[in-house]
Amino acid sequence: MKSDSEHNFVELLQKHQNIVHKICRIYSDNEHAHKDLFQEISIQLWKAFPKFRGDSKFSTWMYRVGLNTAITLYRKSLRTIKSQPIESVAYKLAYQDYDDTKDQQLKMIYTAVKKLNDIDKGIVFLYLENKNYKEISDTLGISEVNARVRMNRIKTKLKTQLNA
Amino acid sequence: MDELELLKKDWDKSKKNYPNLSKEEIYNLISKRSSSIVKWIFIISVLEFSLWTLLSFSFDGSSEAYEKIESYGYEFIIYPLVGISYIILFVFMFLFYKNYKNISVTENTKVLMERILKTRKTVKYYVIYNLTFMCLGIPLAVIMELSSNPETQILISDIKSEGENNIYIFYLIVAVLSLIAMALITILFLGFYYLIYGLLLKRLKINYKELKKIVDVE
Repeated sequence: MKSDSEHNFVELLQKHQNIVHKICRIYSDNEHAHKDLFQEISIQLWKAFPKFRGDSKFSTWMYRVGLNTAITLYRKSLRTIKSQPIESVAYKLAYQDYDDTKDQQLKMIYTAVKKLNDIDKGIVFLYLENKNYKEISDTLGISEVNARVRMNRIKTKLKTQLNA
Repeated sequence: MDELELLKKDWDKSKKNYPNLSKEEIYNLISKRSSSIVKWIFIISVLEFSLWTLLSFSFDGSSEAYEKIESYGYEFIIYPLVGISYIILFVFMFLFYKNYKNISVTENTKVLMERILKTRKTVKYYVIYNLTFMCLGIPLAVIMELSSNPETQILISDIKSEGENNIYIFYLIVAVLSLIAMALITILFLGFYYLIYGLLLKRLKINYKELKKIVDVE
């Protein structure tokens, strides 16, 4: 019976939910968008789960599906990320986090990262998650060279933005 | 220091700050789709209702039809029926709204499943009610025409004068035609309801099955 694995899903997602939260943090600007994106990613993961064969780690797979969802939504989201009405969902995000830090410089870096395009955000995110270029390129479906080139451009972009 | 390095340090530091959803909360999150489907059922029922109401007001023949009904002396049946049908439609709309509200605040998978079933039932009753009402309208209209329309009266007496048995054949034809009309209306509206509600119900059902798998394993 495959429902065993479906039951596992919730357990696995619960265990690794930080990954999703972190993706949301990079890709959304406020608490509401964060919640929406979190739900959307959860649903996409849940839908894709039957195809997860376990040849990669669950967390690795989560990075891939989660980032793809975020990127796809981000692309659609010139009309902002919309999913289900969420006001009643029974979870409360502790949101002191969006106040990030008192450090002005850090705040500015975060703002600059949020301004990057969808793929570049993904690269920064995976970099922050300690992924190497091979893993970054695998997850995002770009070549390793492309990932390196983009990373260099991101660094320059951030520098110029912050020093402007 | 490199901007990204700075960011990374902070990133690692803020690890513990993320919200931690319980398994139950994650179940709810995944199953939340139901809420938006049920919301659409409610919205569509309101739209459908407004459509019919608007149509009946903008339709030129409607006042004529009412005059006709009054001249036949059937207003004592028709007006209460129309009133009752509006009341019933409002009751259904209220039920749809209640279903939506209930489903949006459900916190427990089992209860959510029950409510999904309940919503499906409400929609089914709604469709059955509408079809019955429309189908009953036809015999009522036929009887009204046969018994009170002066032109039909003349027609009937003409037929009777041609031969006693002819009138039975005439009634038979009328009955068969009415049945055909009822069947056509049923098919037409079943198709219409299938398109707008059936597809939503199907998605609800899928959702229900997924939930059931989770509960069965637990």
